[in-house]
Amino acid sequence: MQQAQIAEDDLFRDYDTGSFFDEMFAAPGQARPHYAKTFQELERLAPAQFQELRELADFSFLLQGITFTVYSDGRGTERLFPFDLVPRILPNSEWNVIERGLAQRVRALNLFLQDVYGQQRILKDRVVPRSLIYSCRHFCRQMIGVEVPRGIYTHVAGIDLVRDSKTGQYLVLEDNVRTPSGISYVLENRQVMTRTLPHAFQLHGVLPIDHYPAELCQILRMISPRGGDRPVMVLLTPGIHNSAYFEHTFLAQQMGIELVEGRDLVVDCDIVYMKTIHGLTRVDVIYRRIDDDFLDPLAFRADSILGIPGLMGAYRAGNVALANAVGNGVADDKAIYAYVPAFIRYYLGEDPVLSNVETWLCSKPEHLSYVLDHLPELVVKAVGESGGYGMLIGPSASLAAIDDFRERLRADPRNYIAQPVIGLSRCPAHDPRTGRMAGRHIDLRPYCLYDGDKVVIVPGGLTRVALKPGSLVVNSSQGGGSKDTWVLRGEV
Amino acid sequence: MMLSRIADSLFWMARYMERAEDTARILDVNYHMMIEESPHALRMRWDPLVAITGEQERFAAQCSEATPRNVFEFLAFSADNPSSIVQCITSVRENARTIRDRLSRELWEDINSLYHNVTRFNPEEEIAVGPHRFCNAIRFGSHSFHGVADDTLPHDEGWNFLQAGRALERAEMTARIVDVEYHKLVESPGTGDTAGNHQWMAVLKSVAAYEFYRRQYHVRIEPERVAELLVLHAQHPRSIRFNIATVQQSLRAISGSGPGFYADEAERLTGNLHATLVYDRIEDIFARGLHTFLDDVQKVCRSIGENIARTYFYYAVVA
Repeated sequence: MQQAQIAEDDLFRDYDTGSFFDEMFAAPGQARPHYAKTFQELERLAPAQFQELRELADFSFLLQGITFTVYSDGRGTERLFPFDLVPRILPNSEWNVIERGLAQRVRALNLFLQDVYGQQRILKDRVVPRSLIYSCRHFCRQMIGVEVPRGIYTHVAGIDLVRDSKTGQYLVLEDNVRTPSGISYVLENRQVMTRTLPHAFQLHGVLPIDHYPAELCQILRMISPRGGDRPVMVLLTPGIHNSAYFEHTFLAQQMGIELVEGRDLVVDCDIVYMKTIHGLTRVDVIYRRIDDDFLDPLAFRADSILGIPGLMGAYRAGNVALANAVGNGVADDKAIYAYVPAFIRYYLGEDPVLSNVETWLCSKPEHLSYVLDHLPELVVKAVGESGGYGMLIGPSASLAAIDDFRERLRADPRNYIAQPVIGLSRCPAHDPRTGRMAGRHIDLRPYCLYDGDKVVIVPGGLTRVALKPGSLVVNSSQGGGSKDTWVLRGEV
Repeated sequence: MMLSRIADSLFWMARYMERAEDTARILDVNYHMMIEESPHALRMRWDPLVAITGEQERFAAQCSEATPRNVFEFLAFSADNPSSIVQCITSVRENARTIRDRLSRELWEDINSLYHNVTRFNPEEEIAVGPHRFCNAIRFGSHSFHGVADDTLPHDEGWNFLQAGRALERAEMTARIVDVEYHKLVESPGTGDTAGNHQWMAVLKSVAAYEFYRRQYHVRIEPERVAELLVLHAQHPRSIRFNIATVQQSLRAISGSGPGFYADEAERLTGNLHATLVYDRIEDIFARGLHTFLDDVQKVCRSIGENIARTYFYYAVVA
């Protein structure tokens, strides 16, 4: 009788690990060792109690205004970024491998950018086809021959990892080395989590992450072109209507630097100034969260009202440092991605620690014909897009959508790559409709900081979760949420 | 080091908060006056409220008649009235959002929760129960805002812009309240002494000066004395003089100019007006005509605002 009562009230009732790698359970009802304590904790909670905690967490996000903006209704509405209270836990040993793999990858990407805007040895040695580079929309000719401070291009990199259910191995899904966002959610998720489930942290040694803003600030200080202890550093935002605006304010505040918009800055004689109430003040370092295209209407898109006329001139003259560097998009192009393992071998002479997802480049005729023949079983992505836009997921696509992509692939093959559908690992997440736990697909975006010498990665990163049942798309614009990510201090 | 845009937002954040609070006070007090009065006076009461907020034209375009319901809806909730309380609080939050890296976390959360609180009110429900509950929430919200700002922001240039914004808005609002109420009294003396008395009590209550007036003058409510208190009193935080003094103090703290000097046109105008408020007596002002005087005060306040913007917020396009 009592038994039945407990089962009735169980958060994990009817939990199905399915045919996927489940991060929490090795087998149904049997938690993996590094999840054992958390599972015990959660099991003790009745669905109603858990629902209460969830509301507490949601309210905390609302109160702090931690929201993102969606524009689908034409007005730009603020939404909460859904947060799931079940943590994603990584054992220390697993994290060590990831950390090594990411550091290696970031170094290789930075060396590639130095090279491709410098001597172009990699093109001369035919490791990567010249045509692929020069046809990349984000390859920036204005950057050729520009010496960037300390040779750093990828000050901040967000590298998306997934765990393949088939092998249990982590794979790199994509690199983001332009203006990767999401770190503020990582830091805020942790804050809310420690307030909502304080007991859980006492049971585990969880590695801290709150040193991120200080580490980034240190890098910004290092790249200042003028000497002195107190360079003027600013964070350049497109403004309040940008979907990542919360993050911009958060980081500026955490680093204690000025948050500026394009209209706050002006360039005179290749020097950047900001407009203060007592006149113009020279700016040394800009952590910019505006895309290349919009930075400087004189150099790039003339219709940009977000940027600062003359900024590229000041940058090229070495009077201001930008992070990340301009032109980085050539390194995270989804077609170039296929060559990153080759970069690692070429520049570092090492084998990649983390593998890529198998990728067909539609620019190669033999790959294109394979892709065209197998569209219903592949994922097709436009190379320059991000945020889950411009994608075809073959197995769940309609025939019309597949035909549409077939046309697009034939018309512009360089613009597309294809990959097999990866069965992303799953982690329990709370389903508000049933009040129970259900397996949902997740990925992981760690944030890597590079100071020209070492790569610093705050343990964990952003775990995004596809909250729609069965969905493989974790982007917030497509109904994704996030989880707090724990890297355990020691072995379990 | 303070960005012009940030100073601009702080200044306007405080102005909108003050506008919301003042509107709420006027609405609340007058509504409760109305309950005690006859239907005739009732109709008379409501359109001046719109005049006090300076939105007569917009109101006329949107509403055919100044019924209590229409006026309440227009002043409190209307999305088409940029000075409605809900719109003011929305503007406070929008300004705060563009500078939230500069605000303390406490202040941002305070503003944000006020916004969520205010937008959760259901207009129909509030109209049914009367404005007190809603107006009270706004008043508390404004008090909380200033308390948290004082306690958690550094008292630097930004804080001085905040003070200047609030004081300038309040000075202008007090000038309009006195002007409109006095005008009404002169225009329709037929309402009789009792009604006039009530009316001025409402004015005093709406600016939280009723008890203070009683202590100060120990007499029945006389329009001249009320005007004196609200225009010339040195210590009451709602008087025009008090607020112009605050504007002067804040502008001097920002520019660093000492007593007897001014750094820019905004400071000159403020000093000039302040001198009048300090050295003129209420009889001098009545002799010249109260309406003309209050009209001038409003014009000077607007001009001070424009000159603060010209000096600190706007840059001529370079190159």
